[in-house]
Amino acid sequence: MQSRVHVMQKLRDLGGGAYAVEVDGPIPETGPGQFYMLRTEKRWPVLLPRPFSLYDRGGDGSWGSFLVKPIGDGTRAICDLKVGEKLVVTGPLGRTFPTDVDNPICIAGGVGLAPFLLLARSEAAAGRKMRLLFGGRNRDALSGMEDFQDISTVFPSTDDGSHGFHGMVTGLLDELLVSGAVKEGETVFCCGPDPMMLAVADLCEKRGLRCFLSLESYMACGYGVCNGCTVKVKGERFKGWPYSKTCIEGPVYEACELVHDESH
Amino acid sequence: MTVLETNLAGLELDNPVLSASGTFGSGWEGRQFSDLSTVGGLVSKTVTLKPRPGNPPPRILETPSGMLNAIGLENKGSEVFLRDSLPRMQELAESGQKDGKRGPRVIVNLGGSTAELVELTKRFCAAGVDALEINLSCPNVAHGTRSSTDPALTEEVIAAVKSVATVPVFAKLTPNITDVVPIAVAAHRGGADAVTLINTLVGMAVDWRRKKPVLGNTTGGLSGPAIKPVALRIVYQVRAALPDLPIVAVGGAHSAECVLEFVCAGASAVQFGTSLFSDPTLMVRVVNDLRDHLGEADTSIHELRSAMHESAARISTPGGASR
Repeated sequence: MQSRVHVMQKLRDLGGGAYAVEVDGPIPETGPGQFYMLRTEKRWPVLLPRPFSLYDRGGDGSWGSFLVKPIGDGTRAICDLKVGEKLVVTGPLGRTFPTDVDNPICIAGGVGLAPFLLLARSEAAAGRKMRLLFGGRNRDALSGMEDFQDISTVFPSTDDGSHGFHGMVTGLLDELLVSGAVKEGETVFCCGPDPMMLAVADLCEKRGLRCFLSLESYMACGYGVCNGCTVKVKGERFKGWPYSKTCIEGPVYEACELVHDESH
Repeated sequence: MTVLETNLAGLELDNPVLSASGTFGSGWEGRQFSDLSTVGGLVSKTVTLKPRPGNPPPRILETPSGMLNAIGLENKGSEVFLRDSLPRMQELAESGQKDGKRGPRVIVNLGGSTAELVELTKRFCAAGVDALEINLSCPNVAHGTRSSTDPALTEEVIAAVKSVATVPVFAKLTPNITDVVPIAVAAHRGGADAVTLINTLVGMAVDWRRKKPVLGNTTGGLSGPAIKPVALRIVYQVRAALPDLPIVAVGGAHSAECVLEFVCAGASAVQFGTSLFSDPTLMVRVVNDLRDHLGEADTSIHELRSAMHESAARISTPGGASR
């Protein structure tokens, strides 16, 4: 793990207002679900760095990119960087999606797409086409989908029906179960907004699919010292402790490990 | 004394740069980012006698130039800390004990009732810590700040801890009171070897759309650069009132300049907290920057400490005679 200053060398427009922010290396080997804390070296307009999955990486680690959608002051500052300006990059942090799952079904919503490109690449290298269910409000919101077209099987869904399946990604998953493209007993990796992940986890439980979620928790440090990113959990791995630090014990949890608290 | 060395209530430090409780774990988590052997000291997250799960999430929120937290002293209790974390802090300390250096001092922060604090003090002194910091001021647990808003209680708690302590004891006080000086006086009377100033300021954030407080605990402690002026003011006031009571400053420090400002105001050492969330390598860089700044200004931490107070005294003394 490292905390280093990297040079921004390319900003690639992924459509729908999102960008792949590419920095120079070295970028360590990083598993799907692991993340980095990012802030601009100069004129960082907020206090805390922001967590991002590694989106893409040169095979030799000579460059890496992060999927960023400018929605707040921090993300905007990152996307406003000019080529040659610097980012402070700390990571890789956290745990990956399980590495012993063959041919997982990946379900992404919005910028939750980020952890899956490297996985799609490694699956493709092993001669497999990863199944990606990618949901958004409309066609425009499916930022980055083109990067997956050639290396995986993409099933898009849009709330307004402007592209692919008309409806939520859960409806799409149900349809794929009916058609046989997804089978009971398979494993889902999911990353996206909380309501989407909850719905996916629910459906997986009903349909007999194993489900892992990568949480997009609010965090301060990313390396296990602030105790601010905790989520309520249950299960053996936590030895009876009711909370888990998303940054080091997550961000990937099996859905059945999470305790959903209605109050927040 | 080298330009960076400082004496904190009899505890010699290689430099005045410390981590703040609850912001750097036990130091071990940060070792992967930089070589911590040059840091002046590491202060643990608050340890309580029994495990405490902490408050329900959400626990943190960034605010302009600061952040709110309501962690609620989540920790696995003294038994686990003594077994797992303290040896790691001591390993980090040993890594710096070379070439005449003392290495990072191991300071453990303790919380709980008076009886629990007495028990914890015995255990941690026996385990060989360099100093103890008593958290009289956690704003995020029931009655957490009571003992540092009531002078009689402050004195009682510190006196009880001191009666069994074999290492220097620092009392960490709350800023959530009109005047901290009477509390610092009480801590001094109780035998505190130093006071740590300040814990977080109680604040709140509201989500009007959901008509709810943002934090699971409703209120939280405000930290970060936003509170630095408050911390400087309180350090200055306590130093003016109690020139003989050493002060550990904490509150919004994020650079070597900040350390020198706090030292000028009267601190013997300065803790880094929220700034370590953004940059786990910060303390090591601050130590290097301090050396440069002091070299340029041809002064030392020892010389600079209380410099403002001495010049104020000179100005207010008839004939300009200095103390």
